[in-house]
Amino acid sequence: MALVLGIETSCDETAVGIVDDRKLLANVISSSVAEHARFGGVVPEVASRAHLESMQQVIKQALADAKVGLNDIDAIAVTAGPGLIGALLVGVSSASALSLALDKPLYGVNHLSSHIAVDSLDNEKKLTPTIALLVSGGHTSLLKVNNLVSDIEVLGATIDDAAGEAFDKVARIMGLGFPGGPIIDRTANDGDFAKIQFPRGLSSSSDLINHRFDFSFSGLKTAVSRYLEKSADYKKADVAASFQEAVVDVLITKSISACKESGIDSLVIAGGVAANSRLRQLAADRCNAAGIKLSIPPIQLCTDNGAMVAALGSLAINHGAKPSQIGIEADSAAAIAQIIW
Amino acid sequence: MGWAPIVSTVLAIDTSTSQTSVAVVKDGEVLFTQSHNDPLAHGEYLPKLVAQALQGVPKIDLVAVGMGPGPFTGLRVGIVFAQSYALACGINWVGVCSLDAMANSISDSDFIVSTDARRKERYWARYKNGSRITEPAVNQVQELNKFDVPIYEEGQYFPDPVAIAKIALSNESVLQPIYLRKPDAYPLPEGIKFRAMTSLDLVPASVIEKEVYQKAAWSIAQFKEEFAKAPKNAQYLVAEHEGELVAYAGIFFVADVADIHTITVSEKYRRKGIGRELLKRLIDWARVKQAMAIMLEMRLGNDQARPLYESFGFSEVSKRENYYGPGLTAVVMRKELK
Repeated sequence: MALVLGIETSCDETAVGIVDDRKLLANVISSSVAEHARFGGVVPEVASRAHLESMQQVIKQALADAKVGLNDIDAIAVTAGPGLIGALLVGVSSASALSLALDKPLYGVNHLSSHIAVDSLDNEKKLTPTIALLVSGGHTSLLKVNNLVSDIEVLGATIDDAAGEAFDKVARIMGLGFPGGPIIDRTANDGDFAKIQFPRGLSSSSDLINHRFDFSFSGLKTAVSRYLEKSADYKKADVAASFQEAVVDVLITKSISACKESGIDSLVIAGGVAANSRLRQLAADRCNAAGIKLSIPPIQLCTDNGAMVAALGSLAINHGAKPSQIGIEADSAAAIAQIIW
Repeated sequence: MGWAPIVSTVLAIDTSTSQTSVAVVKDGEVLFTQSHNDPLAHGEYLPKLVAQALQGVPKIDLVAVGMGPGPFTGLRVGIVFAQSYALACGINWVGVCSLDAMANSISDSDFIVSTDARRKERYWARYKNGSRITEPAVNQVQELNKFDVPIYEEGQYFPDPVAIAKIALSNESVLQPIYLRKPDAYPLPEGIKFRAMTSLDLVPASVIEKEVYQKAAWSIAQFKEEFAKAPKNAQYLVAEHEGELVAYAGIFFVADVADIHTITVSEKYRRKGIGRELLKRLIDWARVKQAMAIMLEMRLGNDQARPLYESFGFSEVSKRENYYGPGLTAVVMRKELK
């Protein structure tokens, strides 16, 4: 049993989580999203300043929620990449200081892997092997996870925009605001998802030869933009619902093919876009029909958080992984293969 | 009655320049002081230096840290490290103006210390008879030379971590990072609205056009002609404040490269981030149109906007002589989108 404190600052959330082995004890998130809203996207320098302002308070709050003191912590875990470099450095420097001051091991961990590792919390299920669909504002990947700490294979990824990015951009084109994910989800609620037939990227038989498990959302975004320009009369709700359906349909279709082809009957959907209500519903329906066990973490653990970082740190300890060396280098473009630093 | 905290051992840190510096000072005695010079490696070297510094030191009583001014990313590494270290040990941290720690070893009676603020600017402060007499500031080098006092530059001198420890014990703590610059995309003034241009905006826009470009200004007819290409092949945007038009911008796209026609902000609304926001929206539009690249021309000598364009990834590709009239050269800048 190990008490692990995890720090996440790769984008615009300053987050600290505490876990005891696979039990979630605290998950505190301070977001600078409102400060970015007026820009229609995350501004790295604004995010980094907010991290520095909130860091100490978020750590204190997490300790209070978990009812533990810093001296009780057995290990520190921190997101070391991928992410915005200036933002990552705030978390990594804070974690390094805690590790040195407390004389406890430090684990630099991969942001993407921790999105999947969060599925280990508060349950005792067998975690791997599984297919994982990782969908967020910065990433869209289909992964074959043989071991969460040591062996993750990339089956496919987006060749242009991330799914969450497509939501943000389409929301901006439609004049709905930022962040696009929750706004489009809400707007789509009153819409007809079959009203407009938007393209499903990389789904034609010729595309499937070279891009079996890859995604593309750039053409879809352009299609929405053209539709809005051409159509004088449309319901925003229908456009939002039809766009959302085009994204979600491709994501789920390819995830289920990946399960079938690899003979793995387990699918984890993680990352911020996993909070999308239509994605959750369609995934549940289709996995049920295909006999695949579906796992989607609770919504508050889908978006960026510290608990997922602590969860991966905890799995690393249980796996016997070596702690990171003093002075780990944050890597803004870290590949998913680099799970522990 | 007040009481002085009994401090024996201070861990001092500065990351406000290209150096990462650490010292441990116990009752005035320097137990450790070391620096590593690499402007991109504060995050990596600070923990390594602190780990070395702490060897054989049983207990730290206070953490002192340089609060800048300095390049933001490196600066934050030192500050958040100091704060977190203090939190973990249950001790206090104290912030110090980094320039003061650089001036500490200079015995001149009237001088300026200055560090690299990038973008051809310097962070600086002036000292007289052992005290700082100006607030830390950021300016172009020429501005500093006007004072006609010796300037001690980063490279020859650095903030001394031992001085950070010393100043921390005597001065009031600096609680906030000394950034001096706002983030590049700093919040727009409240109440600025952005929207697409309509034909009703042509008259107020041409008034600003005349105010800014005088003889070189576009006529309303020229405006109309360009504006007619929107929305298919062009995008024109305006910014308004309380119903009054204060800025406008336009971009044109056929074939493969989009061309920014104008980004014009009325004099008194400049330096508020309005031009930046307009530029950002034009680039977004060009991306949606799937342009390969964006180009723009800027008058040579009239280059206040140049750092803005550069920050968005534009770089100079050529110059066009007499573009704006006899003797007026245009600088052509280009940004690749794919």
